[in-house]
Amino acid sequence: MADAAPAEPVGGPAVSRRRFPLSARGGFLLVVVLGLLAVPLLYPVLVPYAYVLQLLTGAFMWVAFSSSWNIIGGYTGYVSLGHNVFVVVGAYFSAALFVYADISPFITAAGAGVVCAALGVVVGLITLRTRGDAFIIATIALMLIAQIGFDNWMWLGGSSGIALPPLHMSEAALVKVPFYYAMLIVAAGAVYLSYRIRHSRFGLGLRAIAQDEVKAEAAGINTRAYKVVAFALSGVFIGVGGALWGYSLFYLRPEIFLALAVAADMVLMAIIGGRGTVAGPVIGALLIVGFNEWSVSEFGSSELNLTITGVLLVAALLFFPGGIIGSLRERGRLPRILDWD
Amino acid sequence: MNVIQITIFGVLLGGVYALMATGLTMLYGVMRVINLAHAAFMIVGAYIAFVLYRDLGIDPLLSMLVTGPALFVVGVLVYQLLFRPLADNPRFTEMTVLLSFGLALAVEGILGSIFSNIYHSTDPSYATGTIDIGSVFIPTGQLYGFIASLVLLAGLWAFLYYTKPGYAIRATMQDRAAAQIVGVNVDRISALAFGIGVGLAGAAGSLLSYLFTFFPGSHLLWIGLLLSLIVVGGLGSLKGAFVGAVGLSVIAAFATDELGPEWSYLTFYVLLFVILLVRPQGLFGKAETI
Repeated sequence: MADAAPAEPVGGPAVSRRRFPLSARGGFLLVVVLGLLAVPLLYPVLVPYAYVLQLLTGAFMWVAFSSSWNIIGGYTGYVSLGHNVFVVVGAYFSAALFVYADISPFITAAGAGVVCAALGVVVGLITLRTRGDAFIIATIALMLIAQIGFDNWMWLGGSSGIALPPLHMSEAALVKVPFYYAMLIVAAGAVYLSYRIRHSRFGLGLRAIAQDEVKAEAAGINTRAYKVVAFALSGVFIGVGGALWGYSLFYLRPEIFLALAVAADMVLMAIIGGRGTVAGPVIGALLIVGFNEWSVSEFGSSELNLTITGVLLVAALLFFPGGIIGSLRERGRLPRILDWD
Repeated sequence: MNVIQITIFGVLLGGVYALMATGLTMLYGVMRVINLAHAAFMIVGAYIAFVLYRDLGIDPLLSMLVTGPALFVVGVLVYQLLFRPLADNPRFTEMTVLLSFGLALAVEGILGSIFSNIYHSTDPSYATGTIDIGSVFIPTGQLYGFIASLVLLAGLWAFLYYTKPGYAIRATMQDRAAAQIVGVNVDRISALAFGIGVGLAGAAGSLLSYLFTFFPGSHLLWIGLLLSLIVVGGLGSLKGAFVGAVGLSVIAAFATDELGPEWSYLTFYVLLFVILLVRPQGLFGKAETI
């Protein structure tokens, strides 16, 4: 609390840090962002261009997903196992507008975020009446409701799916470029939202709820409103990312988004990286995306991949419950560059 | 279809659902574990029953004597290796959810690489038979499944009410700390409850093998359905699980008749949300006290 410590000597650490326009961390971030912005400009030199762009776009998406999941699952301590519902709703919202109203998903993706936030409020108002256990169950039920709904909603193609008009560019590989930049914005937005929440009174309230909800309530926090808002905010960038993901496939089927692996990966990434930290889900997402890429090219089988996901989750919970960031911090080995909390 | 006929379908399946849900709600009652791998173990039981039936010709009803004990052992091992180390965790229930979620994924992946993702089922002669009574008929496969479930549940009931370990389990369900104070070894009771819970899932798997088709990923549908049942009945309440299972199953049978089978599962989840709205602790659950 800055205002609780008026006696801090002038020229103390709080002031001296401001003498430089950029901290080491800020500089590092600036370099990363500029570097990522420049990647698609390497068109003639970067080989294989489409593959690299697609891999990075996927990584951005998962950074956005796990950072968003972390708002409710990490800061607030309410595990949601059905967060892929926001993905499918976002994807189909923009797909429907594209097919039936001819508006590009690049424009309607923002609307998908709003729709997902609204969905989060409605679902949150119902499910967050309970404290903890039943909420988790409700999120699984939500995923199964979405499965039944989208599988049988014939206007949107039902379980056999819906095709979108593909995007055409002068060179086939350049099709990846708009998706790359759009998803980069989504990832940056999600991480920024997560960072802002972590450093706000609202985020403090959420962490109080995670620690001890009864005490948080006694301290005057409107826990129910906080939880519902956190749940809704966690849906925003998942919806936007889902809309872009759906468009990039040009062919949507509910089972792509509602696969258990999609829900599981968000959770796994946040836990491996470090739940309840800003940097954790980012690190976790990059690691798991890289690992999945390697294991699919090495072993190919998706069944095995699912087993590995499960085993990793179990191992992380038993041996590194704090994830990478949490474990490093506990040992005092966390580099300043990764300490965004 | 007439009302009596639909009710018969609902009640018969409801008995099997009750068997499936009982182990799940008991684990929650005894140690606040939500075992998301429960249905995955059920599917493991179904695959064991399938292999026994295909290779050795053992009837699925008989193979409950194999799947039940086999999964009992698995349950005890899973408790000792995975859940016991978490016992002191301040956020135990949440950790168990994530842990068992990981376990379910691992089991699904292993089953998928052994059996591939195609539908399986066993087809004993009674699976498609019927007994005609006037204008209604009783499907024999579901009738046998219902009877087998009731026998197992009655056995469980007798065990819980007339044996010393059963007393200890019930005492732990009522109040874990108090049970410990009066001398119950809650660690051993938890291991036993885990074994029984997962063992019941295994036995239910044998019934599942001929009542339904299954594939490695179908555990997700089942766990969703079973969790809905026990939330409606009240988490941790054995009576609630039974009433919830039979009640919801009858309602779903009517929904199937009205709306078609693809929407019938929706009734479970809709009722789950309705219950959360009007009575979050479930029909027979204890209201939260602060």
